[in-house]
Amino acid sequence: MARPPGQFRQGWHRLCRNRSGLLGLSLVAFVVLVALIGPEFAPYTPNDQSAMLSFTAKGAPTWAHLFGTDRNGYDVLTRVIYGAPTALAVGLGAMLVASVIGILVGGIAGYLGGTADELLMRFTEFFLVIPVFIMILAVVRLFSIVVVGTPLERLPFLNLATIIVLLGLFGWPPIARLARAEFLRLKNMDFVEAARCIGAQPRDILFRHILPNALPSLVVVIALGIGGAILSESMISFLGFGDPKAISWGQLLYFNYEVLRVSPWAVLAPGGAIFITVLGFNLLADGLSDAFNPRLKQ
Amino acid sequence: MVGILRYLIRRLLFSMLLVLGVSAIIFFLLNAIGNPVDVLMADNPGITDQALAAVKAYYHLDAPVWQRYLIWLGHVAQLDFGTSISTNLPVGGMLLTFGAETLKLQIPAILLALLMAIAFAAVAAVRQYSRTDFGVMSAALFGHSLPGFLLGVLLILIFAYWLGIFPSYGAYSTRNPLMGSYVIDGAWHMVLPLTMLTVFNTATLTLLLRANLVDVLRQDFIMAARASGLPERRVVFHHALRNAIIPVLTYLGILFGLMLATAPVTESVFTWPGAGALYLSAIQALDYPLIMGETMVVTVMLVGFTLLTDLAYVLIDPRIRLD
Repeated sequence: MARPPGQFRQGWHRLCRNRSGLLGLSLVAFVVLVALIGPEFAPYTPNDQSAMLSFTAKGAPTWAHLFGTDRNGYDVLTRVIYGAPTALAVGLGAMLVASVIGILVGGIAGYLGGTADELLMRFTEFFLVIPVFIMILAVVRLFSIVVVGTPLERLPFLNLATIIVLLGLFGWPPIARLARAEFLRLKNMDFVEAARCIGAQPRDILFRHILPNALPSLVVVIALGIGGAILSESMISFLGFGDPKAISWGQLLYFNYEVLRVSPWAVLAPGGAIFITVLGFNLLADGLSDAFNPRLKQ
Repeated sequence: MVGILRYLIRRLLFSMLLVLGVSAIIFFLLNAIGNPVDVLMADNPGITDQALAAVKAYYHLDAPVWQRYLIWLGHVAQLDFGTSISTNLPVGGMLLTFGAETLKLQIPAILLALLMAIAFAAVAAVRQYSRTDFGVMSAALFGHSLPGFLLGVLLILIFAYWLGIFPSYGAYSTRNPLMGSYVIDGAWHMVLPLTMLTVFNTATLTLLLRANLVDVLRQDFIMAARASGLPERRVVFHHALRNAIIPVLTYLGILFGLMLATAPVTESVFTWPGAGALYLSAIQALDYPLIMGETMVVTVMLVGFTLLTDLAYVLIDPRIRLD
């Protein structure tokens, strides 16, 4: 017996017919590909500073260094490639944290309604007015000082992990709001009623019946959030509060911005990488929202 | 009228609660990471006992953290943000001076962007799915995804380094102002950062406005307006725009509310002496009173503009019920 196509398959078909959505998907796929196999093809090792010794640091693009070299003597192309996994780790990590909190808070608020809903949504409102970006800057800076001399200091990429967790901890309110609206809409649908009638546990109703049906809408905000988190991390690093040990696009900007006039390629290359990634996720989110909610666009 | 007043009072009370809550969260978070003295000690191991005692007395560090929060809050309620550790100046005065430099860029950038977005969105929405629409929307989506700092970098490279028309940093020349006037000189320095902010705001506002306009233009009262023989220009700008701009108010409120919070990036790119740059130096110097003061001002602005937005909704759109 042939099953009718599910909402994800239908959405996929509509996405394939959406030109800007497809462009977004290809850009994101490209970045993922670079992150996964790029390091195999990188022309140099990421910590190769030999250009420094041959006095070719800050060198213009040549065949040997396609994107030039930066002020520390690194090959810019290599560093940009190695920045891709970092960027994706930041985007996915932050949104993983944000989705878990957001779906729990919003889902429970929407499903229970009443006082619980009121309380949880007021709680969400508190988080919406926290000036997240400048808060994260302060917390990252203070944390990096306090941690000196404690066992935590020896953890690799501690600073980067802090940034990821903070972006997630402060990035969940939009997800919670949407999750609440979706759970509110779905909880009185017939299939939920049916599940309740056969005696399904509330936990199963929430996560096995309602959540999969709320996912299409949530995926759109999450895709937008991934791009947003990547941009935030690069701006935090650009301002000098990033992880000095991590290879990220923001770090490249931070180290090279002062010599913009001498070696603009070392700023433009990582800047372009950030742009492509953010544009990719924005277009993808746009296409997904058209694909999953076709009635909105006619 | 009584309804509006009651709504206003309830919203004001909740907003104050929000500000209190956020300030408490931030205060406890900053103090949970490390109290000011520990952090100062870690950063300046050579600090003298005398200086340490003075700092301890200043922060009431013998008191528990919630008491310190209440003391700080009491001072803030009297608009006393304390004295900056790094400059020894009153925090309130510093925020005013530096904040003014930020607002000088941000307010014109938002207003200019709104005007341009209205024009672009109207052109695109009237000819939905035409080439013009596609062009405007692609440009807007492009501009919306272009990270602000990258646009700033491109502007500096082209107009400051290669063409040499505009200065690449600062708000004023240190000597020899342009044409002997500090007003012209200041305006000259504003061009590039203002362009960067305006382009970004315009792109996002155009995306929002066009989507709303397309929706509104499909509604019956627009057909009625057209059928009554009104000129198209009047239908679009008078009847449709009024309804389409209402949902955009929320975003405008956020833009205004976040004027200081988004400043650090702009002001690092252009070495602009504003509140964002001040905040960054406060973090570098671990200047607790300054960090707390600025986060507080940013939060109040954000909450205040959200409140204003909600009020504007009620005043503009009679369909909204107060409950």
